[in-house]
Amino acid sequence: MAQQQNILTSTRPYLMSAPALAIYVGLFLIPLIMTFMLSFYTFDLNKGGILPGFSLKNYAEVLGDPYFHGIFLRTLWMSLLVTFFCILLGTPEAYILNRMSNRWKSICMLAILGPLLVSVVVRTLGWAILIGSDGIINQALIGIGIIDTPIKLMFTMTGVVVALVHVLIPFMVLSVWASLQKLNPMVESAGQSLGAAPFTVLRRVVIPQIMPGILSGSLIVFALTASAFATPSILGGRRLKVVATTAYDEYLGTLNWPLGAAIAVLLLIANVLIITSYNKFIERKYAQAFK
Amino acid sequence: MSYLRLEGLSKRFGDFVAVEDMNLEVEKGEFVSFLGPSGCGKTTTLQMIAGFVNPTEGRIFINDQDITQVKPDKRNLGIVFQSYALFPHMTIADNVAFGLEMRKVEKPERDERVKEMLSLVGLGDFAHRFPRELSGGQQQRVALARALVIRPEVLLLDEPLSALDAKIREDMQIELRAIQRTLGTTTILVTHDQSEAMAMSDRIAVMNKGRLAQVDRPYTAYEYPEDGFVTGFLGKSNMLSGLVKDVSNGVTSVDVNGVNVTTHSERYDIGATVHVSIRPEKIRLVEAESGIVGGTVGARIFLGNQWIFQVDTPLGEFIVTLQNTGHENVDEGHRVGLDWSSQEVRILPQEQS
Repeated sequence: MAQQQNILTSTRPYLMSAPALAIYVGLFLIPLIMTFMLSFYTFDLNKGGILPGFSLKNYAEVLGDPYFHGIFLRTLWMSLLVTFFCILLGTPEAYILNRMSNRWKSICMLAILGPLLVSVVVRTLGWAILIGSDGIINQALIGIGIIDTPIKLMFTMTGVVVALVHVLIPFMVLSVWASLQKLNPMVESAGQSLGAAPFTVLRRVVIPQIMPGILSGSLIVFALTASAFATPSILGGRRLKVVATTAYDEYLGTLNWPLGAAIAVLLLIANVLIITSYNKFIERKYAQAFK
Repeated sequence: MSYLRLEGLSKRFGDFVAVEDMNLEVEKGEFVSFLGPSGCGKTTTLQMIAGFVNPTEGRIFINDQDITQVKPDKRNLGIVFQSYALFPHMTIADNVAFGLEMRKVEKPERDERVKEMLSLVGLGDFAHRFPRELSGGQQQRVALARALVIRPEVLLLDEPLSALDAKIREDMQIELRAIQRTLGTTTILVTHDQSEAMAMSDRIAVMNKGRLAQVDRPYTAYEYPEDGFVTGFLGKSNMLSGLVKDVSNGVTSVDVNGVNVTTHSERYDIGATVHVSIRPEKIRLVEAESGIVGGTVGARIFLGNQWIFQVDTPLGEFIVTLQNTGHENVDEGHRVGLDWSSQEVRILPQEQS
């Protein structure tokens, strides 16, 4: 009896997590492994398409072709820009939000989380309406006579970055806000009483303590930008190819699945490498804030 | 000449009056405590001195300079917060050095002063630790060192000891007082603990409902409270209600339920209804049917160093505290007499409530 119960208690955690585990394995792990294997296959239209086997040809092609280098560098640059602007706008936003009265806090929270409630495609099409050459922004600017010819925002880096910052800033605000809540509000008063001007208090006292929040926020934003598909594909189009849209085109345009898989795997590796080294760097620099 | 001066200081939040017409002068080097229950306005007053709260009315002077409109970072005050508010991401030495750094003190001098201050608070060996690695009492000392190292004009202590264990708290009271004496820093302590205020201060400012109730030396405030609130807040007391019967030769006779209680005062006229207060430790137990009033011991509690007797009398229930010097045979249910000297009786106004 006792032993039976023992078995039950020891297996219960596994039983309880089994459904989640099944979903994780079935929908994430297996496709990931298959993609990984696929990236070593070869593709030849004359021989009937995808040929199973093991070859590093796809990797050699991506790593050796300046065309792909450009796409990877553009994606990196875009991710850095979006992360930078999310930090620049999201951190003060979270700080101000944290100091608001409860009523205003919930109203502003809703405004910040709003974008997450709308499908990314719908939201991006909204941006397309705003920033197109005959979109609202250009019409308004021409209408009041500030500019004569429309500003080019569609199919430019600026347009994509603006839209991605809008989409991803809630993640930054939320994670900075979480770490602000652990901050003893008196430390700011303490800093001031010791002779630090308000800005110095922010720089020397507040920001070092909310570094974990800024770090996790920027990791989320960076990873999501690097793998973003809908926004770059709608607002950037073919003229502003990024890694995710390139992989998509390889799969569905040229039907070269192995090459697309290799691109996807390389994106994953690059993402993991950048994120872990950034993480290590920040954790070392602000070691005390993480304890 | 007073060093810190509050002139007609008031703070209202909407309709709520937090502090009303506060006037106080503090001498250089003096240690004054703001004492009162929560919500009496003591912390608000401290925050106005610190500059974190703007007064609705009134002015604050330090050394004859009006600082009412000066920003907190320009006031040169040392503040120890209830939660210590140490910077968790900096070492103890960096925490203490922060104020000096803000004052652009050169590094060699800064290091010297930090070292000196840390050894004054007994934390010389902890310079390179981080706040979370220290106990509550040690963090408290760091907060004190950080506030004192800048040589503040006034040191403000906001319930600094309330988060500590009783034992450490007593040690810290003595130590804090000693450090304050050594440096001669003018100090304001905010506390709700009357024994802490009495143990440490030169003067106590008792506050009630946003107003100063009484400002006096601890002994004077305890022995000669001006009203029932101060009496009750500074210690226990037996409060009786009565009518002034006779005033002559500096002695007032008060009729309390038919018992004549005399006291040395001429402040009240015949016919006035007053309160009479007798501290529990001023009362002696005597033989039944002698003394001023007789009664029955309702309960007794032994606390080691003293006894507490609860005696039911025609005047109401009395609390009597006696040193543990031979009262063990006075048990519950015994008839006793209560006696006291008329010197120990205080006569107080009836509260308008």
